Amino acid sequence: MIDEYVTALDRRLRGPGPLKRDLLAEARDSLDDAASALADAGLDPASAQRRAVADFGPLPVIARDYQSLLALAHSARTLRTVLVVVPLVHVLWELNRRFWMGAWPDGDVPLPGWYLVVARLNDWVAWVVAGLVLVALVGGRVLARRGVGTTTLARLAGGVAVAAVAAPLLGSLSIITATASVDVSRLLELSPPVTLATVAMYAVMVRLAVLARRCLVFSAA
Amino acid sequence: MKPDALRGHLDALLLATLDGRQLHGYAIIEALQVRSGGALDLPTGTVYPALRRLETAGLVSSEWSTVGGRQRRTYRLTKAGSRALAAERTAWREFTAAIEGVLGGGPWPAQA
Repeated sequence: MIDEYVTALDRRLRGPGPLKRDLLAEARDSLDDAASALADAGLDPASAQRRAVADFGPLPVIARDYQSLLALAHSARTLRTVLVVVPLVHVLWELNRRFWMGAWPDGDVPLPGWYLVVARLNDWVAWVVAGLVLVALVGGRVLARRGVGTTTLARLAGGVAVAAVAAPLLGSLSIITATASVDVSRLLELSPPVTLATVAMYAVMVRLAVLARRCLVFSAA
Repeated sequence: MKPDALRGHLDALLLATLDGRQLHGYAIIEALQVRSGGALDLPTGTVYPALRRLETAGLVSSEWSTVGGRQRRTYRLTKAGSRALAAERTAWREFTAAIEGVLGGGPWPAQA
């Protein structure tokens, strides 16, 4: 009975492996403890297990509680990753670019005002994202202390994670599109290390996007 | 007692069972049942997610340790948890005093 219940719970839950194993081990210990306490009180072993499982609660309800914990843990970890990785990628890309190219060349075509706005936004987006993610992490803890439920927190954190990954990705895509439309030679004249760094940056951003998407999947499961 | 009536108080009850000691999950459940004379009979499976939620909020901390020769995850109050418990106790006393004053019966004071 206990084995079946824990296996069924395992099948329903999706989220970070170590936490999931930890939660399931704890649930199993609790069921074993309850069954042995009931057996000590005089129940036969099979009835004791059945009763322990019944006392633990209906699987769909219990699984929902556990799932929201897994979703929240994944979202919080994704936010911490974004907090470090997004500014780091931005700084490394800029340093690499300055090392190989120095200041941006003037180019043949004068840059329109809106282009400079897009470029400025793209320079700042990593820091704005880091600031907002930090606020979300601190705010999440405050909300948790005020008794806001894990399901709500997991959804909020998932939404912030998606926005925090989408913003720098969109920023970077818009500056590339803007550059291509204003003066495509600027893109073609990038030095190879800068092009390589850009590809690496996109690889990291895609990985972050996968993590962010899982926040939504886990909090909807 | 109905589980729904308990839900709003579960956090405070869990904090109270951990006051000044370190317990594993099943011991917390037993403590709740014993202290309430068996009236607090909620699904035991809801206690663990609630404990983890309190841990996320920084009110309890947990670790695996050896209890009775077995590895168990044990929980204890953090400083913030102790403060939260003190605040819950004060709020509860004020609440029960106010309700008792009205609902507890006894003669009404003479109207002025």
